[in-house]
Amino acid sequence: MTLTGLDDALPGWLPGQRWYAGKGRPLRRTRSFVAATLRGDDPQLHLVLVDCEYSSGPIDRYQLPLGLRRELPDNLQYAAIGPVECDGESYRAYDALHDAELTGVLLDQIEAGRTIGPVSFSSTQSLVHRPGRLLGGEQSNSSVVFGDDHILKVFRKITPPGLNPDLEVTRALAAVGSTVIAPPQGWYEYVTPDFSATLGLLQPFLRGGTDGWGLAITSVRDLLHDLTQQADEAGGDFAPEAHRLGGVTAAMHADLRAALPTRSTADAAQRAMSDQMVERLHVAAAAVPDLRPHVPELAAAYSDVAELTAPVGLQRIHGDYHLGQVLRTDHGWVVLDFEGEPARSLDERRAVMSPLRDVAGMLRSFDYAARHHLMDVTSPSERLRESAEQWATRNRTAFCDGYAEHSGSDPREQAVLLRAYQLDKAVYEVVYEARNRPAWITIPLGSIQRLVEK
Amino acid sequence: MPLESNDPTWYKRAVFYEVLIRGFYDSSGDGTGDIRGLTHKMDYLEWLGVDCLWLLPIYESPLRDGGYDIADFLKILPEFGDLGDFVQLVDEAHNRGVRIIADLVMNHTSDAHPWFQASREDPEGPFGDFYVWSDTDQLYPDARIIFVDTEKSNWSWDPVRQQYYWHRFFSHQPDLNYANPAVQDAMIEVLRFWLDLGIDGFRLDAVPYLYEEDGTNCENLKPTHAYLKRVRREVDEMYADRVLLAEANQWPADVVEYFGDDDECQMAFHFPLMPRIFMAARRETRYPITEILASTPDIPPNCQWGIFLRNHDELTLEMVTDEERDYMYSEYAKDSRMKANIGIRRRLAPLLDNSRDLLELFNTLLLSLPGSPVIYYGDEIGMGDNIYLGDRDGVRTPMQWSGDRNAGFSTADPQRLYLPVLLDAVYGYQAVNVDAEMRSPTSMLHWTKRMIDVRKQHPVFGIGSFEDLGGSNPSVFGFLRQYGDDIVVCVSNLSRFAQFTELDLSRFEGCTPVELLGGVHFPRIGELPYLLTLAPHGSFWFQVRQEYS
Repeated sequence: MTLTGLDDALPGWLPGQRWYAGKGRPLRRTRSFVAATLRGDDPQLHLVLVDCEYSSGPIDRYQLPLGLRRELPDNLQYAAIGPVECDGESYRAYDALHDAELTGVLLDQIEAGRTIGPVSFSSTQSLVHRPGRLLGGEQSNSSVVFGDDHILKVFRKITPPGLNPDLEVTRALAAVGSTVIAPPQGWYEYVTPDFSATLGLLQPFLRGGTDGWGLAITSVRDLLHDLTQQADEAGGDFAPEAHRLGGVTAAMHADLRAALPTRSTADAAQRAMSDQMVERLHVAAAAVPDLRPHVPELAAAYSDVAELTAPVGLQRIHGDYHLGQVLRTDHGWVVLDFEGEPARSLDERRAVMSPLRDVAGMLRSFDYAARHHLMDVTSPSERLRESAEQWATRNRTAFCDGYAEHSGSDPREQAVLLRAYQLDKAVYEVVYEARNRPAWITIPLGSIQRLVEK
Repeated sequence: MPLESNDPTWYKRAVFYEVLIRGFYDSSGDGTGDIRGLTHKMDYLEWLGVDCLWLLPIYESPLRDGGYDIADFLKILPEFGDLGDFVQLVDEAHNRGVRIIADLVMNHTSDAHPWFQASREDPEGPFGDFYVWSDTDQLYPDARIIFVDTEKSNWSWDPVRQQYYWHRFFSHQPDLNYANPAVQDAMIEVLRFWLDLGIDGFRLDAVPYLYEEDGTNCENLKPTHAYLKRVRREVDEMYADRVLLAEANQWPADVVEYFGDDDECQMAFHFPLMPRIFMAARRETRYPITEILASTPDIPPNCQWGIFLRNHDELTLEMVTDEERDYMYSEYAKDSRMKANIGIRRRLAPLLDNSRDLLELFNTLLLSLPGSPVIYYGDEIGMGDNIYLGDRDGVRTPMQWSGDRNAGFSTADPQRLYLPVLLDAVYGYQAVNVDAEMRSPTSMLHWTKRMIDVRKQHPVFGIGSFEDLGGSNPSVFGFLRQYGDDIVVCVSNLSRFAQFTELDLSRFEGCTPVELLGGVHFPRIGELPYLLTLAPHGSFWFQVRQEYS
């Protein structure tokens, strides 16, 4: 089978996709190829890999499940990529994830566990076949929900290559019987001697769940609406949820220790951690002038880490832990998305680290949730700020209490390290906000101020 | 006269109305409501649209426990009237298509009951074994004491018989001894007596405690279920279209035992749902409700939950966790007078600070969640309470019919009333009464009647399946009720702020949701999540029908 014309259409289509990560870099051209044909009759389904070449820098490789139809019906027009030729016949190419007929084929292949050329499919159980629908709103991947039963995460950018930590970690956690995750039900991978990558991950769909961020800001909204009430007597109090979330987080870390490698730091490791944080600080301060007045205090907080003598327990962690990564269901909290921070290399994302980094990430997230509403107020009063601070403090405390109760070890007892991780994260946020939402820079800067004062 | 309808599962679609005869209407002018008074008000109840009245105890009683201390199962309390009045009430109700069930206490009697008097006087006589007697008060130590405020033990000493007797509730309410076949038969005779008079069923009070067994907590025991199955069998063999409603204040997973295999009680109350609705509104998230529904087991096809917002007892908090109980207290019981045992005695309107938005939200949920709704008398007009009256009387004040003397409830001297009518500026009878609300088309009463009408036009609310629709916004509770092609989508905003949600209705792609109150056709459902915006505490009921597409 030969497919021609796709690379003429892709440069016009690809940059318009939310998951396209090459924004800001001029795209020179694409080179696409069919990795596997999953269905040869109209509508056809091909798994296409697309290499994007920029005017400078490394190539990015994307996964594109491609649909081909001779006639594209009205309800698929919005998914159109462009005209192509396949074995000399004219077709319309489109993003197949919008087509329930073709996502059903993908689900069939996962269940059958076949290998088609370099693409191999696997499943851990029999599946329920209901029409798939593509979820909107996602940044870096695409997800298709089948009925109320399964959700298929299709990884879009698959460079750098390698086993995706989301699949690796959830599989390992499922194997030790972890109850705080959605266990993998299937997956598919691209495997050749010189390039291998995870393409998709199928998990149970947790209907009725909402993410922790949505739930937390519901509570903040309630508190800030009535400034006469204290955080601990507000009707929308989130602290019991934060407490349970702390327990679930501790359970996740215990499961990760049971499932994957652990290690203790050597003597020099604290020094190295401290040095890395200082280095990140200097890079950030060079980019964001607002950060510069805080550099001496930040550097001092990091150098405290270098002085630590007790070994630090290292293990696999979530790596990108915040309220948006946890789902409140009718049966409690579930942790999602073990991919790690997308900006970091795969090796970094799969390295062992202190679980306090996840704790710090969630504590930062409480700060953001508390102050998020202030960003919508042109001139927030002092009382409003106090209430927000009260909410953040109350829920950070509840989260740490819940973590300590479940694990028997209170993260606040490792104050130096916990503070350094929070500051490190806040420095990262300062850079992010300076680039993307300059008005929000006050959130991480304010947190840095508070953390170094302690 | 029994109501001839050949509709054995009528209770699944019915709207119940809980009536306190003492407090409804006084026909004799003696200051106390009576059966004739209730009969007199049947036109009102028919107009309101309720399908079944649930009468609180009507029997001869020394009234030391609101009539739940029955002194003669076969006699009406004289101040309520006589058996002739009762038969007339049943006939007048049935003429209007309204059914009647009554409270019946099977577990115990008053100590004034002739059975107990005979039992203590003559241990060897025919009633000697009708109660649970013992020479020691050390038996069944694992049974909890239910009324912890007043009772120290489940055993009390009887100086006449010189033995201890067993009682799970007050010491003046000795438990019947169901291990004695004569007691089993006697209670079935009691049921038959009332069924022969045309009554449509019973609310069986305190059923988990019928039998005792050493080494257990004496609740929900096997012989108790076996006896209830026998009761059901005998009722079904002799009578058509009757219902048994179990009062078992337990977790749903335990309560379902009382449905048996469709061969025990047809109905049971879902107790934990009610406090969860209060909590969800306070937290402004749906999870308190969806959690309890997700952990509620399926029930046999001909069974039904009874659900309620308020009743004659306190807001029961036994079924919530300690954390949630503290929370409910802090929010709803700011005044220590409102606390008693472990509940809160308030009517719905004062509990919700008389917020019309919240009253409508709560009643909308009551009328659309799975189960048959039970409305407490007076809540349809938004009546208040009087927390300065003792015990549970605060929520049992006279029904407010009009702005006339005694709220139109009675022609007696105001001082003679069994309880004073409400007089305060917000909930007093001058402000809140049936007559005034009848005249005002925007009143709570007209709104309630309208919602009951709509519910009755759509049996799916009674018999349909329930499915939580989830959705992107935790403050919005969306769910689906479905029975075959009859599909209703209910969406409520639990928040006091305007909200939006995106519901996955893609399985109904191409259909048009039609709003049930006004018949407004909403935009057609497409492939993408369905966007809805909701006013603070606002709700929608939509019918989703293929033929509209």
